[in-house]
Amino acid sequence: MTSYFSNLPIIAILAPFLGAFLVGLMGGRKKLLNVQRSIAIATTFTSFLSLIYLIKPVILDKYIVAYWMGNWKPESQWAIGIGLEVDAFSLFTALIIAAACFLSAIYSFKYMEEDNGLDKYYVLFQLLSASMIGFVLTGDVFNMYVMLEIMTFAAIALTSFRNHLYKSVEAGFKYIVIGSLGSSFILLGTILLYSQLHTLNLAQMAALLHGNYTPVSILALAFMLTGYAVKAFMVPCHTWPVDAHMAAPSSISMLLSGIMSKTGVYALVRILYMIYQSTGRPEMEFLIIFWGTITMLVGITMAVVQTDFKRLLAFSSVSQIGYIMVGFGVGLSVNKGVAVVGTMGALFHMLNHATFKSLLFLCAGAVLHQTGTTDLNKLGGLSKKMPYTTAFFIIGTLSISGIPPFNGFVSKWLIYQASFEAGYAPVTIIALMASVLTLASLIKVIQSVFFGQLKEEYKDVKEVPLFMRIPMMVLSAICIIVGVVPNFVSKYLIEPAAFSIYNIGNYIDVMFEKGYAAKMFKETVSIPSMDYTLAGYWNPLSWLILFMILLIALILFFSFGYKSSNNKVIDDLINTRYETFTGGEKEDYNHLGENDMFWGMRQDFGRYFRFIKGAHSGVVNDYVLWVVAACAIVTIYLFTLM
Amino acid sequence: MEALKTLLPQIFYVLIFPGFLFCFIFGLFLSGIDRKMVARMQRRIGPPIMQPFYDFFKLVGKDHIIPRKASKKVFLLAPIFGLISIVIIALFIPIFGFTFQNNTADIIVILYLITIPALSLVVGGSSSGSPFASIGISREMVTMLSYELPLVMIFLAIGRKAGAAINGNVTFSLADISKYQSMSGIMISKWALIPAAIAFLLIIPAEVGTVPFDVAEAETEICEGPLVEYSGLYLGIYKLTQAVKMFIMGSLFVALFFGGSGFSNIYLNIILMIVAVIITIVLSVSFVRSVLGRLKVEQTLKFFWTVPTALSAISLILVYLKF
Amino acid sequence: MLDKIIEKSRIKSPWIYHVNAGSCNGCDIELIALLGPKFDVERFGVKLTGTPKHADIVFVTGPVTAQTKDRVLRVISQVPDPKVIISLGSCPMSCNVFKGSYSVVGPLDKWVPVDVAIGGCSPKPEAIIDGLIKGLDILKEKRGVK
Repeated sequence: MTSYFSNLPIIAILAPFLGAFLVGLMGGRKKLLNVQRSIAIATTFTSFLSLIYLIKPVILDKYIVAYWMGNWKPESQWAIGIGLEVDAFSLFTALIIAAACFLSAIYSFKYMEEDNGLDKYYVLFQLLSASMIGFVLTGDVFNMYVMLEIMTFAAIALTSFRNHLYKSVEAGFKYIVIGSLGSSFILLGTILLYSQLHTLNLAQMAALLHGNYTPVSILALAFMLTGYAVKAFMVPCHTWPVDAHMAAPSSISMLLSGIMSKTGVYALVRILYMIYQSTGRPEMEFLIIFWGTITMLVGITMAVVQTDFKRLLAFSSVSQIGYIMVGFGVGLSVNKGVAVVGTMGALFHMLNHATFKSLLFLCAGAVLHQTGTTDLNKLGGLSKKMPYTTAFFIIGTLSISGIPPFNGFVSKWLIYQASFEAGYAPVTIIALMASVLTLASLIKVIQSVFFGQLKEEYKDVKEVPLFMRIPMMVLSAICIIVGVVPNFVSKYLIEPAAFSIYNIGNYIDVMFEKGYAAKMFKETVSIPSMDYTLAGYWNPLSWLILFMILLIALILFFSFGYKSSNNKVIDDLINTRYETFTGGEKEDYNHLGENDMFWGMRQDFGRYFRFIKGAHSGVVNDYVLWVVAACAIVTIYLFTLM
Repeated sequence: MEALKTLLPQIFYVLIFPGFLFCFIFGLFLSGIDRKMVARMQRRIGPPIMQPFYDFFKLVGKDHIIPRKASKKVFLLAPIFGLISIVIIALFIPIFGFTFQNNTADIIVILYLITIPALSLVVGGSSSGSPFASIGISREMVTMLSYELPLVMIFLAIGRKAGAAINGNVTFSLADISKYQSMSGIMISKWALIPAAIAFLLIIPAEVGTVPFDVAEAETEICEGPLVEYSGLYLGIYKLTQAVKMFIMGSLFVALFFGGSGFSNIYLNIILMIVAVIITIVLSVSFVRSVLGRLKVEQTLKFFWTVPTALSAISLILVYLKF
Repeated sequence: MLDKIIEKSRIKSPWIYHVNAGSCNGCDIELIALLGPKFDVERFGVKLTGTPKHADIVFVTGPVTAQTKDRVLRVISQVPDPKVIISLGSCPMSCNVFKGSYSVVGPLDKWVPVDVAIGGCSPKPEAIIDGLIKGLDILKEKRGVK
């Protein structure tokens, strides 16, 4: 296809690569720093723009854009070159990635002012963005691996960017070991598949592998599942992001936590839904749902006991990925109506999680930038000095716990409904409990960091500069808007993506020619209809109007009814009228255990919390053992059941 | 003119009945009946039934003091949001087949909206900057955690039971549940859901925040917990929220377990609902309040995660086995 | 009209808070006993609150000792208006048997304006109720709504 849009994917991928090269050429001269920053912002904006131009053909006209690199078209229906293939699901994920990279570039304008070596930062940053976009836009398995490696190494270097701090170096080390283990598993799986099928193209693999599974391909599936589970941090391969997100600079933490996990999930979906076509297989459904549930539980359990701000956010990321995996697991179900709801819930949650998790990490970065510490036991009472950050953080908290009318509610509701209708009622209950625990852990952060009592040493803390506030404002606005008009978002973004996940035939045909898929499959693949009926009805606009009416009515009522008496009995002799009640004592800072709100609960469930916390021993060898053990369990499971 | 004709009833529903005014009056009334019943059970005369009204208007007329340390906007906004959410729920609960807008929400929305007043208490207490408040809010969070679990299971059991008859799978819409009850008898007459009803009655005191589960607002221990810095009008709003919550929980119980079509005359339906709510609240709140002492927060957690959870799990399993 | 409602409600729902400024606890026990079934002041709408910010009527017992003087002043300043201060027992009226001691700083009306003084050591429950009603009258007449 030689229309204008067939070149857009390659522009989106190459622009940040070129930018990285240019910035690297410029070197470390201080005078060119602003030029380098502008290049970074310009290239990420270019990719974002080109992806927006791709919306019209891919989503509105339901076209799939295919582009063969170097014009190496398939020869006698055998794919030789690298193909980029953009369908609605890839575009959906790529839009999230590009938007987040752009916002992060704006944020790092001011955030990374005090570090040196910033040219290297911008090189690595653009490499990271380019490789992430390249990962989701490509249609070739080995190309995915190459992009993954670039992404991993850029992320590792950025994690240990502040290498004068011990925690950064340790986090980078853990990430290298566990990340390389994951990448090796992926490489093994890819090579096994290649040796079996003699092709590297995703579409052709799907066509050739249809229905006839050999033991080699099942082993490859097990390896690739484990490898991508390391990338998408599912338990027990979730131990590296905790340190990595804590130690990385916050503009990168936001990308690592909110966005890179989505690439892992994207790859898992491609493998399960497209290559292996496991829709309708109850054993795969059970595996993914079980894995997702354990991830949810362990993630949130560890989050409640943390004492560091960013570690807590990282663990809650782990738990939200569990939600997404449960949704995709339900999407594999035999019952088509339920499967659609599950997939749409998971896709929606991908979007929502990227938004509110980035917002939370940006607020954490703002606090770190102004006060220099993220230890929950040391901070306190910052809401009077940093009002904007407090407001944005409260919006993020309400979104992540799924309070209407913010966006977390819609996606979580879809996932609850999907898992309950698929017959997995305990999963619904665990999901709701995890939601309440998420709320609890974030209220703990709010109480410890923003409300509470102000310490002496933080008296001069000021609000963050405007450049850092703009991305936070944009993200909060997205949270609120997506929550208020979810039907609009669902119709234009989510439904086409869900449709394209199931529409394997079209995916394969575009790469080769029409009818190729049907010839290879020897049957037509059925696509479920995308109409879903919600088990209840949720109309957020009318709810919001109701809310506004009541708010106005209340304010009027109370402003009329408010009277006060002006007789003061005694004068305020010792100026204590406006102090907090402390039983008459002088008011000073009393650390009444207020920063660890749930110590009582930790005592009661002491065995459970100690077990899980003790299992996270901090030794890299243990974590590697977990990943290998997970791979072994998955392999055994798959071989016994397929 | 046409638009006005459709708008005027809507405003009537929102502001007068079953919205604002009705909620306030009936909620405070219920709270007064509760205090009077407790007093009578303790062989004393007790306050007049209109006592909560006097309390509320007295608080309107008092000064309010905002501590220096508090974050002012959050401190003042938190109670208002709690009150608005709880009034909105009242608009969605069907009164024997009559609902204000029966297509706008369902059980999961109500579940989340019910947590908003508790959340507003937590955020309000947290923003006041007092150390007593921080102890209070941690206890409130743990209490909220403990009663969410059986509540979720009860809703799932009821949804499954009603949904199996209506559309073959689960339903979460209250209108459907009401329709199911008018079709095949009230919910409590099904054997499978009697444990769920008992569990719901056990959850009501925890939601409303009264003895034996009111550890978050313990007067004697932590000086009223999260409410320690509130005074005047905003304290009145919190007390009002608690009273309206009593009404909401009672009417939710009646709608879920005794719902259906009732009589065909709407005024008789309203009277029936009022009587049923009063009986529910007296049974689950007053009787329990006059006899028991306050549980510690760990005991609350342990209680809720054993007894009501077991009861609602039995209900869920029985519903799945098609009883 | 709202003013009249508020005025009536003020009398019908007094919430009390009690401060012990060094007393022997006898008057405190009498005050708490009032809320029990035998003397039941809850029929007047009285509720014992845990924090001064919710209270209308402040009961102070005990002679004001040197250590508690600051604390009593702090607590009373945090009670929102309109308020009534009642001194319970003979100790805050005249320091009773502790007059002239090194640690007692004087009767209560040296420090705060007292509205009602209830005498007795410890006063009879009926006397306390009578003082409470007098306090309600003061609340209505002298501290009406502006």
